[in-house]
Amino acid sequence: MIVAPPASYCPRHPARMLPTELPGAGEIVSFTTLHSPPEGFKSPLHIAIVELEGGARFVCHGAETRGLKIGSTVAIEAVNNVYYFSSLGALDRARIFWRRAGRAGDRVNAIARSVVKRVWTGTSSG
Amino acid sequence: MRDVWISGAGMTAIGRRTEPLQSLMAEAALSALLMAERERPDAIVVAAMNPEEFVGDGNFASNVATHMGFAEVPTVRIETATSSGAAALYAGFAEVAAGLHRTVLVVGGEKMTHLATPRVSELIGRSIDPYERLYGATMPALAGLITRALMARNAVGLREIAQVAVKNHANAAKNPYAHYRQPITIEDVMTSRMVADPLRLLHCCPISDGGAAVVLTSDRIGVRIAGIGQGTDTLAVRHRQNLTSFRATQVAARVAFAMAGFGPERVDFAELHDAFTPFELIALEDIGLIPVGKASRATLDGETALDGRLPINPSGGLKARGHPLAATGLAQIVECVWQLLGRAEGRQLEGHTALAHSIGGLATNNWVTVLERL
Repeated sequence: MIVAPPASYCPRHPARMLPTELPGAGEIVSFTTLHSPPEGFKSPLHIAIVELEGGARFVCHGAETRGLKIGSTVAIEAVNNVYYFSSLGALDRARIFWRRAGRAGDRVNAIARSVVKRVWTGTSSG
Repeated sequence: MRDVWISGAGMTAIGRRTEPLQSLMAEAALSALLMAERERPDAIVVAAMNPEEFVGDGNFASNVATHMGFAEVPTVRIETATSSGAAALYAGFAEVAAGLHRTVLVVGGEKMTHLATPRVSELIGRSIDPYERLYGATMPALAGLITRALMARNAVGLREIAQVAVKNHANAAKNPYAHYRQPITIEDVMTSRMVADPLRLLHCCPISDGGAAVVLTSDRIGVRIAGIGQGTDTLAVRHRQNLTSFRATQVAARVAFAMAGFGPERVDFAELHDAFTPFELIALEDIGLIPVGKASRATLDGETALDGRLPINPSGGLKARGHPLAATGLAQIVECVWQLLGRAEGRQLEGHTALAHSIGGLATNNWVTVLERL
């Protein structure tokens, strides 16, 4: 089981967890838009669960959910220790496919970072 | 293990109450003791989810016992978030089944409506995984995530999850103890304020005050607890592979039916934890009352209505009877006992076997109880 954020023990077994790294792209498991979020958050608040390779599931914020579907491929990126998801363009998806077909190291992280920067530059991180 | 019977069941009217929490719990307890024809129990189990924050009182077992005039009766408090009432029933059951006590009073209650709604939401939300809370996850937010996944996988639509609310409000209209007694329409639900897309206000249970209590005994009288089971899961919703069914409910049902020695086909009616209306559909399938994938169809066809084949939430459920947290798991039992003993005037059902299902937190600590009138 891969969990995020890092935990000392597996939630289902009293076994020590080891650190690992994952590419920053995954699939939308589900998402919602909260219209009366708790204190300290802006409304509307978009929250998604995103599953990365290996089954690790992240809770993420996003700028919008328009056009988003369960199963959509998204990039995720941490900004100030908060994970954000953003939709991937066709070119980014193609690059991910190539990486899966071949071997491009951490290129997905780089792609994800660039996508996220485009979306988030100049906006508040909530 | 001794057989455990419920000889008394009582509750307060649920809703916006002005009395202190202790008074609500005393009212419920005394009415249960009256029905059981007992002046004083041998022991007490108290359920309250968060009286420290909601009403500012601690040491709550002694607090409630003393308030009721039972300062000298051994009392403990049990807490498993929103299923605390059901957990307290389990603790009382264990005391009687083990032969530690012959008669045990189990009483639960919560008082919240005097606080502002955001404060109440924040306090209830503390039962969510702290990391998920950092992202603004509230109970409605997580329920919204689960509902969207359910709607994508099981062909559950907006109409189906609205129909659960319509049905449960119709039932509550016949229950003088219910928080909301006015019927609503599908249009009312589908045009109510959006809370956590796709969940709207009328898909969600209200914030309620109230108390509920039962008297357990090893004497053969009233309704027998045929089976009681607990199921658990990870605190974090993101650590679960399946969002559209609850392991905690499935395990609780399996354990309860194993103890009872029969299966869900014997259940005549049930009280299910519909804090959010899609949860009723999930519970129907997790418990095995309706085959997987068929709960929404059965609901639209009226199978789960008061006059249907398998009435669900005759009290109005959390949705319309109301959800005073730690009282809820016991209010479900009270409704089942009243129904089984012919005391549910205006909404009386036929049947010998009833089931109650309670969810703690976001399905981290769930309970299923099977009751039988012999």
